[in-house]
Amino acid sequence: MSSFSRSAQQWATFARSWFLIDARMQPPGKIASMCSVRLQGKHKPIYHALSDCGDHVVVINSKQIAFSGNKWEQKVYSSHTGYPGGFKQVTAAQLHHKDPKAIVRLAVYGMLPKNLHRRTMMQRLHIFPDDELPEDIRANLTEELPQPREVPRKLSEYTQEEIDAFPWLWTP
Amino acid sequence: MVFLTLSCWIRSRGPDRYWKVQEILKHARHFRGRKNRCYSLAVRAVRRAFVYATKARKQKKRNMRTLWITRIAAASREHGMKYPVLMHNLTKTSVQLNRRVISDLAITEPRSFLSLAKLAQARQQEGFTAALGDGKEPPGVFSRVVLLQ
Repeated sequence: MSSFSRSAQQWATFARSWFLIDARMQPPGKIASMCSVRLQGKHKPIYHALSDCGDHVVVINSKQIAFSGNKWEQKVYSSHTGYPGGFKQVTAAQLHHKDPKAIVRLAVYGMLPKNLHRRTMMQRLHIFPDDELPEDIRANLTEELPQPREVPRKLSEYTQEEIDAFPWLWTP
Repeated sequence: MVFLTLSCWIRSRGPDRYWKVQEILKHARHFRGRKNRCYSLAVRAVRRAFVYATKARKQKKRNMRTLWITRIAAASREHGMKYPVLMHNLTKTSVQLNRRVISDLAITEPRSFLSLAKLAQARQQEGFTAALGDGKEPPGVFSRVVLLQ
């Protein structure tokens, strides 16, 4: 058995899966936690922190993420340039307007372990603001992960039968 | 009885202090910087290293257990279960495997692990049905249990 055999153990397969996550109308934190598990390789039974068994994750539609509550106005991203008076604070809405990939990237970066592997794992995260992928990345994709939250539909997207079948509290 | 100490003393060259220093430096040869050759620096570093080694003997057990738990969690997620659910139901079915063995099974014998996961799932369903009872409420009580069935 593996725990007490001293023979060479070759568990790594030298192959990396490429996961696709659609971030349309999804909370960034949930997307980020799915990403961070797969980037670290914690979804594999052979996981070891030093064995570098993480996979690639491709996030599309990062422009369409959905914060709940008033986070777009109230959540603040802070940074410091290093110069005197260089403390910058932008709200989530401003940051998202400037760079639609930044919110997902920062969320994943914060969820990864703070060690020397963090930059390597971040290199395996590919974020795209739209659903258009370059051909070389599209060719690698192996699996699409289910979205953590059900995408809410607009009233115009419901069929007439569904609207009629909806239980009414009163007749307008 | 054979006394080797005396003959070793005779064979050894150099004063006592030399051997005392070598005893310390022996443990510091792989250290970085002047610590691996200067006695006064090495003696402090070796003492610290031994303290770390003593503490690490306990920490190693702790770290291995967290590693096993991470691996079992990953394997049970593949079968759509959470780690606490799996372990709780395995103990309920009196499966007396420890975490090291279960994580080994998950790596080397995935089908054995799958049968364990199925066992835990079946036990979970049994537990749910037992908790729900026969679906009948005591007289005068109305609760969600009736609606669920």
